[in-house]
Order: sequence, then structure tokens, then C-alpha cells
Amino acid sequence: MTVPPTDTINAILERFESQAPATDGLLAGVNIAVKANICTTLGITSAASRMLENYRSPFEATVVTRLRRAGANLIGTTNMDEFGMGSSTEHSAFGPTRNPWDTDRVPGGSSGGSAAAVAAGIATVALGSDTGGSIRQPASHCGVVGLKPTYGRVSRYGLVAFASSLDCVGPIGRCVRDCAQALQIIAGEDPHDATCARVPVPNMINQLDTPIDGLRVGVVRTMINDHNHPAVNAVCEAAIERVRRSGGEVVDVELPHADHAVAAYYLIAPAEASSNLARYDGVRYGYRAPADKNSTLDEMYTHTRTNGFGPEVRRRILLGTHALSSGYYDAYYQRARKVRRLIKQDYDRAFNEHGLHTVVTPVSPGPAFRLGEKLADPMALYLEDQYTVGVSLAGLPAISVPAGMTDDPKPLPIGVQLIGKAFDEPTLLRVAATLEAAWSQRDSFKPQVGMC
Amino acid sequence: MTSASIIASELIIGLEVHIELASATKVFSAAGNPAQFGTTESAPNTLIDAVVLALPGSLPVMTRESIESSMLVGRAMGCQVGGTTSWDRKSYMYPDLPKGYQISQYDRPVCGKGSMEVFPEDALGVVDLESPRGIRIQRAHLEEDAGKLLHEAPGGHALDGSIVDYNRAGTPLLEIVTEPDFRTADEVVGFARQLRLLVRHLGVSACIMQEGQIRFEPNINMRLTLDDGRVIETPIVEVKNLNSFRSVRGAIDYEAATQPKRWVCDQQEHARGTKTTRGWDPDKNCTTVQRSKEDAHDYRYFPEPDLPPVHIDAAWVARVEERLVESPMVRMRRWVTEYGLDSRGTLALLDEPDACAYFDAVVEASQAMGAHNAGSQAGRLLLQSGARLANERSVRLDELGATPERVAELVKLRADGAVSAQSADRIFELLCEEHEVDAASIAQREGLLLVRDDAAIDAWIEQVMHENPAIVEQIMGGKVQAVGRLVGGVMKLSGGSADAAEVKRRMLERMQP
Repeated sequence: MTVPPTDTINAILERFESQAPATDGLLAGVNIAVKANICTTLGITSAASRMLENYRSPFEATVVTRLRRAGANLIGTTNMDEFGMGSSTEHSAFGPTRNPWDTDRVPGGSSGGSAAAVAAGIATVALGSDTGGSIRQPASHCGVVGLKPTYGRVSRYGLVAFASSLDCVGPIGRCVRDCAQALQIIAGEDPHDATCARVPVPNMINQLDTPIDGLRVGVVRTMINDHNHPAVNAVCEAAIERVRRSGGEVVDVELPHADHAVAAYYLIAPAEASSNLARYDGVRYGYRAPADKNSTLDEMYTHTRTNGFGPEVRRRILLGTHALSSGYYDAYYQRARKVRRLIKQDYDRAFNEHGLHTVVTPVSPGPAFRLGEKLADPMALYLEDQYTVGVSLAGLPAISVPAGMTDDPKPLPIGVQLIGKAFDEPTLLRVAATLEAAWSQRDSFKPQVGMC
Repeated sequence: MTSASIIASELIIGLEVHIELASATKVFSAAGNPAQFGTTESAPNTLIDAVVLALPGSLPVMTRESIESSMLVGRAMGCQVGGTTSWDRKSYMYPDLPKGYQISQYDRPVCGKGSMEVFPEDALGVVDLESPRGIRIQRAHLEEDAGKLLHEAPGGHALDGSIVDYNRAGTPLLEIVTEPDFRTADEVVGFARQLRLLVRHLGVSACIMQEGQIRFEPNINMRLTLDDGRVIETPIVEVKNLNSFRSVRGAIDYEAATQPKRWVCDQQEHARGTKTTRGWDPDKNCTTVQRSKEDAHDYRYFPEPDLPPVHIDAAWVARVEERLVESPMVRMRRWVTEYGLDSRGTLALLDEPDACAYFDAVVEASQAMGAHNAGSQAGRLLLQSGARLANERSVRLDELGATPERVAELVKLRADGAVSAQSADRIFELLCEEHEVDAASIAQREGLLLVRDDAAIDAWIEQVMHENPAIVEQIMGGKVQAVGRLVGGVMKLSGGSADAAEVKRRMLERMQP
């Protein structure tokens, strides 16, 4: 085992005491970090919030139990946007994580700490969580592989909830195979999570080397457009070409409601978040604002939640509360649910009527941006998710695979997103592995800091 | 402003009932349930787990028992059960509500429309079995209870703030909502009591009133007819959290007396947003304002994403229906009409399903032995002295120790006039101790068998009548109740060995004009 490099990029929030190395299991001795919103009993589960700064969970997430049983060496928790709300890891109560390719830039988010830790070689694999793109986008910005499984494929028990109908736990790794192996371990039904599907877990690994001859890969042309950074479009086109050359049949596909995904997502996710975060009230655990004898209950709530939550979390709680309030419910939340159904139908049509096996799109409209660049403009930050949130609303599996670089003096990685059929991760991983192998510069692809 | 006056008024009442189900666990987790049968009070905050406390990362999971108990109560009320039922979050913040929302059911409850036959019960507890009312059930849904906020420490010590006990949080709560079909307090109290009996007999909740395991919330308003021909409705008052029949009646009586006066003062009529919430003050016998329309909650209901909908098919409903039991009111009607028992007297017995079964077993065995008037004789024996004895020993009737067969033998002795009513009580008490001995042997041993020598009885009667000519004259003149004194005289002469009822019958026979 190599000694992990120093964390100069603030990817790790807490390092766990080293455990006795396991010799058994599929992940024996593999260094794995977990996002700070996944409960462990090894340290603090803070979700990068002041609210849970000292919170120790009495139980561990099902995914953590499964990793430990597979022999993984849990090294610590990774930095993130508070409660998963953000796309840059700047909204952490414990400072931003920096991108190992260019430390003036963000790693993406909200699983920025996990992506950066893998890119910098601090962890071999890191677990992230993806609500609207929080695994895929930082993986793309950090030049690593990020897999969001089908909703219901992996237990959410022990994941600090952001938006329950969207939240997925998934792996970030240096290659498709590492992600496939980690998914194999963490997937499967769980009596503690009623939304975790009771379906058998297929073998995620044994199709990785199978050629993709005859597989139909859809391209959403409208997503390769002038609003994207030119390198994003170029990388996307190059990836499509590699798919074609590897034997895939490339066809154009339309997703008519894709443009409404961001609007629907930013109603549904905050609505659920406003409810999920109501429990942080200062009564039972976590931060509680100091109060004097004359404080009322409402004052205690107000001060606790104003001081305990960061500005982005407060913004989303307000948004979500408004969207659910009487008189606005039908116009906002209910309508967003209808859009969500339509988006799901778009994908059903693409996969079933057009017989597609996977769909390829950009992950985000540009490469990693500079720290602070989008802090003042939440809308710009929300648009970072425009190609990923639709997939989340549809509950489908998707993977972000490195596929190219910008041609800046300090080149930045760019990934492409592959979207699969529900519960068909093996085919998705097979296409991803093919694409990964077909990129000739894959081997010289390394970040500036951290790699040993 | 009008100066019209009220010439007639009618109450309109709908009822919401919350029942804590006695399932083995909380509704959405494996933590222990304080409403489980036989649970003695647990130390505060011991029936909790990560789900109950809403720890980060915890998730609710549906428990089958809570759903099935709800289905059973629903079917017993004739409700539509089946199809898809789903969960919603009802948001409000309060320290006793760990998640900041309650998991409830908004538009797809477990139980849909139904109807229950209700017998009005008056203030003295007399049930009117002649005029049942059909009360429509709007729905019954399953939700979770909240914890308890305490403002003083155990033992009544003053506290600097408040403390919370989460033992009750997450207890399964069935909320039954009726249509506004009640017109009198008697109907509401009848429904409340009869629903409680039904639920106890179904075995899904003990419904212990003082523990708040069943709570009533009447929505009360009135239809007033005015002398100018108009008919108006007063604003609805919802009275929260009543956990005794007395307070249900008190709140309704108070509102019935007060709402016409309120209308005279403010002329406010029922309309959207005029509903107020009041509480019952048992000391002052009045309702007091808790919340008015201005600070009504916006609960922001939305579908619970952590729990998938539950699909209830016909086979599942049929399996649950196997647990349906005879309605306690059908039982009461049988006891009252066939056995001639007093409705009020049967209420205590009806409260205990096992004691009911015991009583029915006694009657059945007595009938099998050919006892005449078995139901009435058994009722006389068990509902009075039996009930008193059970009460003294803090056990149920069926737990006193006398087997139904032994008691039936006693009922037979009594029906044959072989023992007096008083002696029967004594023998019953002995039967509870001596399991091996039959009633006749005890009666013999204790010298409690009645003299059946008609000649001797007639001689005593002759003597007593002769000694009390004035009383005899009164009786012959129509004052029949005076016969008691003469019967007493005969009993004295017989040394208590005569059957008083038989003496009375013979005496009156002689004095017939």
C-alpha cells in the first residue's frame, strides 16, 4: 500500500484512524473515501454543514457496511457542497475544495471532494451522491469516472437526505472498472430503504470487455450547441466518433422536454429539501443557537437555522417552501411533477421505441470554472446541471467518462455523459469501458497535483 | 344589521377520532410502541431509534401490522378498502415532531367511504336501541403520532424550559373522519363509545382513554332558523383532543348553548376560513379559543418520497376480514332484547371482549342444562355481584376463577329456585376459589338450599298475613309495593331458607281480587 499524498486541495474533511488492513473481499485493502453526507461510525458525519459540525452518527449507512464487509480501507470523509446543494464545492462550511488540475479552479460539485480525492490519488475510489449531477459533473471536471446508478439500485439508508426522490449514492473512480466493482459491492435491496428496488443485482464486471458491435447509441444534437464551451462540443463529437469506430451504431434522438429539466428540477429538489431539512431545528442534535431565558421557541428555530445553514441551503429551503405552499403548489410543484413524467417518457421512447442501448451527451456546458466565478450568480451555477438533471428526474443510470481536454496552457479534463436504461448498468458500463479504451491519450492523462 | 331572532336551531356535528394502534412496533420503524397491549409506562425516551428521532440518514419503512389493523377497522365500519394507498408529508415545526413533518395520508387513505349504525346514548348512559342512526364515514387514514412536550420534570418539579419525551412519536395513529351527520350529543357520545368498543373487540387497540389512546375532535356548528324566514349556519368550531365521553358531551352542550348567542352578537356565518379551534376546559365547563383562522397552518402536503404507495388487493382484504368479530352492539342488543338486561349495565361487560365471551359461554352452558331464563339469571349473577367482585380484585370477570360450566350449574340452581339470589352470589364467590367443587355441593354444604316445602311456605304466608291485616288491605287496594314488608316477614320465619321471589309470587296470588 502506498502512502496517500498530502491533501493540499482540501478534499478530505476528516481522516479516519487507520484500520487493520483486510486481506479478504473484492475491495480488500482498497483506499476508499466517502462523501461527508454518508453516515459512518468512524468519525463525524457533517454533510459539510455547520449544523452537523460535531455530529456523530450512531449507525452507518448500508453502503458503508457493504464496503467494509468487502474489505475496503475507509480513509475518511470528503468535502462537498453543504447537504449536496451546489455544483462547485464552494458551498462547504469548511472551505472549498480545489481542482487538482488547476488549484485556482473548482472541482465541481457537490461531490467535489470525492472527485478531487480520486484525481489526486488520495483515494482509489470515493463514494459520492448524485441528486442532479453531483457525481457526474465533478468527475468530469476532475478527469475521473463518476457513476450515478439507477434510482433504487443502491440503498439510501444512511445517506443524509437532500431530495429523497432523486438522491443516489454512487462511486467515483479512476477507471470504469473500479466504479463497476464498487457498484457491485454497494448495490442491492435493503430492508431499511423502502425505495431500494427488490431486483437482483447483475454482474457489473463481466461485460466490460465485450465489444459494442451493434449497440445503438443515441446522440441528442441539441445538447451540442453554441452555448457550450467549444472544447465540450469537440470532445463530445470525438467521443461519438470513437463509439462509431468501435462498432456502435450512432443515431440521432430527440428529447423534446429536455429544456424544461432545469426548471422542474429546481422546484422538485428544493421542495423535498425544504422538508428533509426541517429536522435540523436545534432540538435533538446538531447546532443550536445560544439563547437566553426570554427567547421564544420561534426565535430559537430562526437563529439556529439562520446561523447553522449556509446561504445556498437557506435559498433552497425558501424556494422549496414557497413551491409547496398553498396557492402555489399547483403552479409549481405539481407542474414540475408533470414535466418530470414527460421527461421520463422521452427517455422511455428513446430506449424502447428507438431501441437505443445508451444515449451520449455532454456532462456540463464547460470545463471547471474559477473559484468564485459563479458564486454571485446562482442561475449560472444551476445551469451547470442542465445536461444531468433530466437523467436524475428520470431515475436512470448515467456515467461520466473522461474523453478529452481543453487546449489551454493548463489543460482541463472534459468528460462525456452516457445514459443507460433503468437497471441496465452492465450495458452502460460496457459502452463506457469501450469509450475509455478508445481514447488514445487516456494513459497520459494526469492532473498537476497529487498523483504519486 | 338585522334584528331577526332565532326561532329554531339544529346541531350539525362531524367527528374526527384518533386511535393509537397497539401494533408491536412504531408505524415506520422497529422501535417499541407504548400503545402496545399490556405495556406499562416506559421510562422517557426509551422507545426510540434513529427513525423515531429523525437522525440524519434514517428512513421510514412501512410496517404490515399497522396497515392491516387499519384495514380491519375500516372493514368493520363498512369502508371501501383496496386499491392504492399512499403517504404524504404534512409539515409543521414543533419540538415534539422530530422530522418537522408528520407522515400522513392526504388523498389516498387506507379506508374510503363507509357507514356505521349508531345507537344514541343519553347523559345517564342509557343506550337507545330502538332508534339507530346511520353515520357516514368519510375516510380513515393512517399516520404517525407525535411525542410529548413536558413543561415540568417528572414528579411535578419546576423546569427552566421544556423537555420532550419521544416515546409516543411514531406510534401508529388511525384517524377516522365522519361526515357531519350527527344532530345530537347523544348520537356523538353513542358513536364515540360504540366505536371504542368495536376497536377493542377487533383487538387492534386497548383505547385506554386516560392514556389518550383514543381522542375525539368534534366539529360543531348549528343551523339557525330565523323569524324572517332565513336559515343560516354558524361558523364551525373544532374542539381538539377530547379523551373522555364526558368532555365530548360537555363541549357539544356548551357549543350548542353558546353558538346562537355568539351569532346574535357578531352575526358571523359559516364560510370558508371562519373555522376556529378550541380546547375543552373541564374545570370551567367551557371551550376556549386555541387557534383562530388568522394563524391557521399551511401544512404544505406533498407525496412522501421515502415510502412507495401500497397496493391492497382483494385477497389481502379477504385475509384481514377473517379477523372481523361480532359487533359489540349486536351483542348488546341480544342481551337487552333476549335476556332483558339493562343496556347501561352491559356497558362495563362489553368493554372487555374476553369477559363478553365468558358471559356468553355461561349463558350457553346454562341453556344447554335446561335453565329457564338463563340469560337473565346469568346477567343478574354476573353483571352485579360478579362485576363487583372482579372490580374488588382488579381482574376481569373471566379471570375470577370460576369456569363457565360451574357457573352454569349455579345459574341452573337459581333458575330452578333451589337457591336464593343472595345465596347465589355467595356460592359464586366460593366457586371462584374452589375449582373442583360443583355449585350444588357448595349449596348443600353451606346450607344454602332453599326449602321447597310449599305447605310450610303457605303456612308462613298465612301467619304473616294474619298478623298484618292493615298492610293486606293496602295491597288489595292496589298498593302492591307494600308486599315487600310481608315477604320480609316470611323470610324471617323461614330463617332465610325460603325463596323470596317464590314467596312474593304466592302471596300476591292469594291476594288477587
